[in-house]
Amino acid sequence: MPLASPLPSPMALNRPQQSPSIFKKRSASGLGSGSPLPSSAASYLSALSQADARARSVSPTSTPALSLSSSVTSSSEDTILHEEEEDALMNSNADGLLLPTRPPNSAQVFSTVHTEFGHCANDKYRTTSQHKLGTPLPTHVEQDPPYYILLSTYVSYLILICLGHVRDFVGKRLSPSSYQHLMPQHGYAPLNSDFDSFYTRRLKTRMDECFSQPVTGVAGRTIMLLDRTSPDYNHTQLFTGTRTRALNISSYNYLGFAQARGGCADAVEESIKRYGISSLGARLEGGGTDLHNMGEALVANFTGMEDALICSMGFATNSTIIPALVSKGCLVISDELNHASIRFGTRISGASVRMFKHNNMKSLESLLKEVISQGQPKTHRPWKKILVVVEGLYSMEGTLVNLPGVLELKKKYKFYLFVDEAHSIGAIGPRGRGVADYFGVNPRSIDILMGTFTKSFGAAGGYIAGSKTIIDHLRVNGHSGAYAESMTPSVLTQVVASMASIMGVAPPDVPSKEIVHPGPVASASLPQWINLPLNLASGEEGTSRLRRLAFNCRYLHSGLIKLGFITYGHPASPIVPLLLFNPGKMNMFHKMMKQRQTPIVVVVVAYPATPLVTSRVRFCVSAAHTKEDIDTVLRACDEIGDVLDLKHGSVRGKDRWNVEQVIARAAELGSNDD
Amino acid sequence: MDGAPESLIPVLSFLEGPLSTALTTFNKIPGSAVILRYVKSSHQNDPGRTILELLLLIFAIRTLLQSRTRADRNGSHYIQFSEKEVDELVEEWTPEPLAAPLTPAEQSDLAAVPIIAGPNGPRPKLVSTGKTATNLASFNFSGLSSNEHIKQRAVEILRKYGLGSCGPPGFYGTLDVHMDLENDIADFLGTEAAILYSQGFSTVSSVIPAFSKRGDIIVADRAVNFAIQKGIEISRSTVRWYDHNDLGSLEEVLISIEKDRKRRRGPLTRRFIITEGIFSKDGAMVDLPKLIELKLKYKYRLILDETYSFGSVGRTGRGLTELYNVPASKVDMILGSCAVGLNSCGGFCAGSQIVVDHQRINGPSFVFSASMPALLAVSASEGINIIRNTPSIFECLQTNVHAARAILDKLDCILIPSHPVSPVIHIYVRTTDPVPPSSAKFNLTFASPKDTLRLNEFDVEERLLQEVVEDCLAQGVILTRAKRLKGQEMVEPKPSIRLALSSALTKKETEKAVSVLRNSLVKTFGRRR
Ligand SMILES: Cc1ncc(COP(=O)(O)O)c(C=O)c1O
Repeated sequence: MPLASPLPSPMALNRPQQSPSIFKKRSASGLGSGSPLPSSAASYLSALSQADARARSVSPTSTPALSLSSSVTSSSEDTILHEEEEDALMNSNADGLLLPTRPPNSAQVFSTVHTEFGHCANDKYRTTSQHKLGTPLPTHVEQDPPYYILLSTYVSYLILICLGHVRDFVGKRLSPSSYQHLMPQHGYAPLNSDFDSFYTRRLKTRMDECFSQPVTGVAGRTIMLLDRTSPDYNHTQLFTGTRTRALNISSYNYLGFAQARGGCADAVEESIKRYGISSLGARLEGGGTDLHNMGEALVANFTGMEDALICSMGFATNSTIIPALVSKGCLVISDELNHASIRFGTRISGASVRMFKHNNMKSLESLLKEVISQGQPKTHRPWKKILVVVEGLYSMEGTLVNLPGVLELKKKYKFYLFVDEAHSIGAIGPRGRGVADYFGVNPRSIDILMGTFTKSFGAAGGYIAGSKTIIDHLRVNGHSGAYAESMTPSVLTQVVASMASIMGVAPPDVPSKEIVHPGPVASASLPQWINLPLNLASGEEGTSRLRRLAFNCRYLHSGLIKLGFITYGHPASPIVPLLLFNPGKMNMFHKMMKQRQTPIVVVVVAYPATPLVTSRVRFCVSAAHTKEDIDTVLRACDEIGDVLDLKHGSVRGKDRWNVEQVIARAAELGSNDD
Repeated sequence: MDGAPESLIPVLSFLEGPLSTALTTFNKIPGSAVILRYVKSSHQNDPGRTILELLLLIFAIRTLLQSRTRADRNGSHYIQFSEKEVDELVEEWTPEPLAAPLTPAEQSDLAAVPIIAGPNGPRPKLVSTGKTATNLASFNFSGLSSNEHIKQRAVEILRKYGLGSCGPPGFYGTLDVHMDLENDIADFLGTEAAILYSQGFSTVSSVIPAFSKRGDIIVADRAVNFAIQKGIEISRSTVRWYDHNDLGSLEEVLISIEKDRKRRRGPLTRRFIITEGIFSKDGAMVDLPKLIELKLKYKYRLILDETYSFGSVGRTGRGLTELYNVPASKVDMILGSCAVGLNSCGGFCAGSQIVVDHQRINGPSFVFSASMPALLAVSASEGINIIRNTPSIFECLQTNVHAARAILDKLDCILIPSHPVSPVIHIYVRTTDPVPPSSAKFNLTFASPKDTLRLNEFDVEERLLQEVVEDCLAQGVILTRAKRLKGQEMVEPKPSIRLALSSALTKKETEKAVSVLRNSLVKTFGRRR
């Protein structure tokens, strides 16, 4: 909707004299109360905050523990945009990133900044993330593209490789100085040989503009890029000094908790004031605080396990805890696509490692039969224990683990099960409790649940949850307890606040014993100084975020398929990979998305993170996206897909929809009942 | 075939027989005509293309055949079982429990770990007693933890960036504040560049495998910290150990490696010396100028872990390079911890541009992990700003170190292996019994993990030291034993109490707290004698 048109809210026209306006600078310079009617964008915002404040002031106070006052004061602040953006806002909203295309009516209350967490009030665009009992899990099918695509992909790589070698050959002779660091020098072997770095130098450099793009601000619904150019074919990158705001469908911000405003950020601010920045040391050496213990109890409660421990880095959670679980004489059976941190951990554990085909239960079972019957290599002694390590949601494929299948095998083959829920915790399941929640199985049938806070919770670090015996063992024997710095109070607070928002806080008069998993959290288990605003504490906002995320996932996933693309992964997965195949298309896709009227930033991944042929673009859907944002992405993909010849999916003919059809039937596509 | 030279004719006629049979069979395959026409016409258009396509085909077949999940059924040790036998074996197999319950000693140890209520700092409040106590356990060398300016900046940054970065550095996780901190560190130390990791402990175990691969040589101190040990392990390089902090022993090792290489005429491989600035195990300090001399002489690259020396020694806390007045560019990689040295979080590796850029693609815990929260990066930047402009912080810290050492050095019941200026002070129990002659060469403060006799002795000492720790805690001084993963370390260090002094305490407070420790030590070990 064009912004110049009259706004539906009458409040927009009478801008209050004493509004808690965000345009402080402007009022001072004479544009404030006495000036003529404010421009539409300004009035829009004030209408928003007005509607907001009014709606809040009449909402009932039910639970005394939850301070209402904080939500009122923050509501006016919540709609603040950063100063630098005022100008942009005054001029236009042509890219649709700063303001919603549809202004709110007075009944709709939004407490978030639209650029961080999009305003989307339509209840049609909500779904529940839940497995339908009795239905089979969609298997991971790797759809093949037409042969000419495969062929041209191989040819592309071949040309790249040949050209690279030719360039190296010629380059070493014509300009030896630029190869110096790859050659032995003054009796030192090169840190990086020309052979080892061939891929990086000759292939990755060509698309360096797709990687490591520096950004600033919140990695929310939109993100601010620091523009850069390269004068010398990506060998150096220079900043142009300008910035571009882009729609962010790349960050792991599944539930949209990456926010600089709102209840969680308020709690973090309070924690910085109370606790300072650091907790000064390892957990076992004087770096443990009451906040750590509370956080761990909350994580245990959230995941439905007996106990949990927290580690200050997600990668290190795997790499320092797995070695405390298995050692020489044990076997780790790992999915072939498991994350680098898992491989790191198993490698230093000293245990033997075997891999099975990605999410393939037949492959797992035949491997189990083989390893149990054969025992340890050479000696044939029985294995001490076997640990099967899988991920809940695979970060490159978007596949959900076949948890029912694995648990079935677990009964028969008596292995221990470790599920890395880095991407699935918070993002999957009707209550956001991960894959066990999604499939409706008891989390305690899994031995170890691991997850990270970097994704859905907008924080950092990771956790391990399991039985008390196991967790205590890991507290003492895991590497991080004794040696690694403990989590900082601010990060812990973000974890606690966002987790409590997903769970909802029970009224203080409910005894904590009566609360069963997966219920709300007892208010006594939270630090007393955390006053979540009512919408977060009631769990309403958390539920709405989960349902928005679930809708967005399914909508984007089904939409892309209907448009004729090849995608991987489970429809409920917030990770939606779209296959590109040809390496040249990655660069193009990335650039074309970024140069649209509404710039969109995407992640492209190629070999070695994926198999050689299946280069892809990976979308990470968030609850912060509105339905209109997904429309924007679908429109962009549709256009670019035609230009780059990407529509090779199995959906053909009449089943294929055009983009307008897809957008019009969004509610149907995004629902969970296909 | 008209163009073929005369001499080739017999060969060609010889080949004609088998070739024609091959052709006829090929022609029988459906679709072969199409392929043939395609090959012919493409060859006609551009002969080079045939070669290209052939190469391509080979390449494609190779990738298709490469499967990472192949079973090693054809190994010589494979035993063929029937389906029934397999089922029986599966039925019979009983795994060990995933984790053993804690021993009573471990349990009481875990229960005795002090938990801080509220902010940690020089005088925190304890959960157990509800009272404040003097903290000689937590790392707060420069006292930045209670700095109000840093807190205020952190809140500002929170309101601009939120908390988490929600992405690894490669995928929109690189913030301007990360780049600023990297520049600040490089500038502070005087190196070309620096790279940030999101956890201090994971930094070195990621840096080592990024550079040192199978076949490369690592020479390392026998008592390096756990993270270095793990980094060396995962790199799969050839490793040689030298005696703890004994540069003579290092030189011997370097000479023997050189001899070996000359004898075998092996290729030139990457070679690294890895050691720590101030050792986490005992607070000893490496003689950096001598070390650099050796590294240059034998052409090794030096990886120096300054976790406990960065932000703690030197006039402005730059670490060993400042203390010994050595240009930082002489050390190939300086690793430090923003968590320990700057009271924030994360770690860094500073070095040349090439060293840093290489890690951006090859450092596992850099590439595969989310970047650190913006407000922590800015806190570290502010920390650098403060310490570089306030040398008095480190003067005060040194005063405290002197004061503490003046009290402790007088005691005969203990032994302090730490360097006199190190704010990390380890306290060993002095054992009076003579050192067994067999281990004369081996440092008497370390035991090999197999030496059960020594280990039992260590257990006794450990319990006594824990008594001291708890006694002091009751008197309002927080101390900690150096916690180690027993049985996982390469060498078992003698048990110790580890003090971490802070400039946030006054000299008086430090002296008072250390006196409490002294009295408790005398009480415990005096009684024993
Ligand atoms: C499966 C898995 N485990 C662990 C991690 C590491 O988490 P963090 O980024 O918090 O270090 C990731 C992150 O990418 C992941 O995908």
